[in-house]
Amino acid sequence: MRIILLSIMLLLGAAHVSAQKYFTRDAKVKFFSDASLEKIEAVNKSGTGILDVSTGQMEWKVLIKGFLFEKALMQEHFNENYMESSKYPDASFKGSIANLNEVNLGKDGRYKATVKGKMKIHGVEKDLEATGTITVKQGSIAIHSDFTVACSDFNIKIEAAKVANIANEIKVTLDATLQPLKK
Amino acid sequence: MKRLLYFIAAVALIGGAVGYYLWNKPHENMETAKTDLAIQANVLFDEYNADETAANAKYLDKTIAVTGKVKESSTAEDGTAKVNLDTGSDFGVLCELDPLSKHDRTTFTEGETVTFKGICTGLNFDVQLTRCVEVK
Repeated sequence: MRIILLSIMLLLGAAHVSAQKYFTRDAKVKFFSDASLEKIEAVNKSGTGILDVSTGQMEWKVLIKGFLFEKALMQEHFNENYMESSKYPDASFKGSIANLNEVNLGKDGRYKATVKGKMKIHGVEKDLEATGTITVKQGSIAIHSDFTVACSDFNIKIEAAKVANIANEIKVTLDATLQPLKK
Repeated sequence: MKRLLYFIAAVALIGGAVGYYLWNKPHENMETAKTDLAIQANVLFDEYNADETAANAKYLDKTIAVTGKVKESSTAEDGTAKVNLDTGSDFGVLCELDPLSKHDRTTFTEGETVTFKGICTGLNFDVQLTRCVEVK
């Protein structure tokens, strides 16, 4: 009897722990380069995100070769010349909600959040701070954020001849809806 | 002299045409794309989890045909359809259907065995394939 009780308690405990984590494999990551001669846009709809609602810690990851461009040639150049995606196949962010006292992840509502952490792109890690909105609604957590990354911060070299075609400052948009992680 | 001018004009025209063609080069047609190799979903997943670097050297950017049982089939509001193939683990082989190809169907029944041809983009919890088309 005691063993059964103990097992039930352990099971409940485990369920409790896993319910604190929210996950998505459908995060949409878009980026936009607005240079004087050319505008370039690409999207990846299979980013992953994991959020621990008790600590506000989050991790995001996106595979570079999964970015789709309108033009095949641009996609090729992006992968081969700039991101070197065979060598550095993913980009990731690890950080946490800096104003967790103002964000109640357990209660329906729309919150403004600031996230601080480390962004890793092209094998280079940099501190990054981004703001966004977190919408808690009926057990799911939607996250939207716009932020900017500079190619030069991540050792992504744009040749002088391409400066008018590719911006150094790249605008990134993240849209994701996370669900409780089922195990 | 005239001949030289004609020659220069011809070279410029060909150069321009090649440039224009490259600039507008279409994305590869996935329905006719050559399959580099065929593999079972669980084998691919296990190889990635045993050694990601070695698996990337073998599969990254390759057009591969992956066979497995459907664990989950979903379509997002924007029309993006994805199928996750069962690997016996919590995560699977996630196939994102090609937005540029025509598909006979975009929803799949849980448990059915299917084969998708797509481009392997690496490991992100699931092994991911992009631009997938069903192979019958």
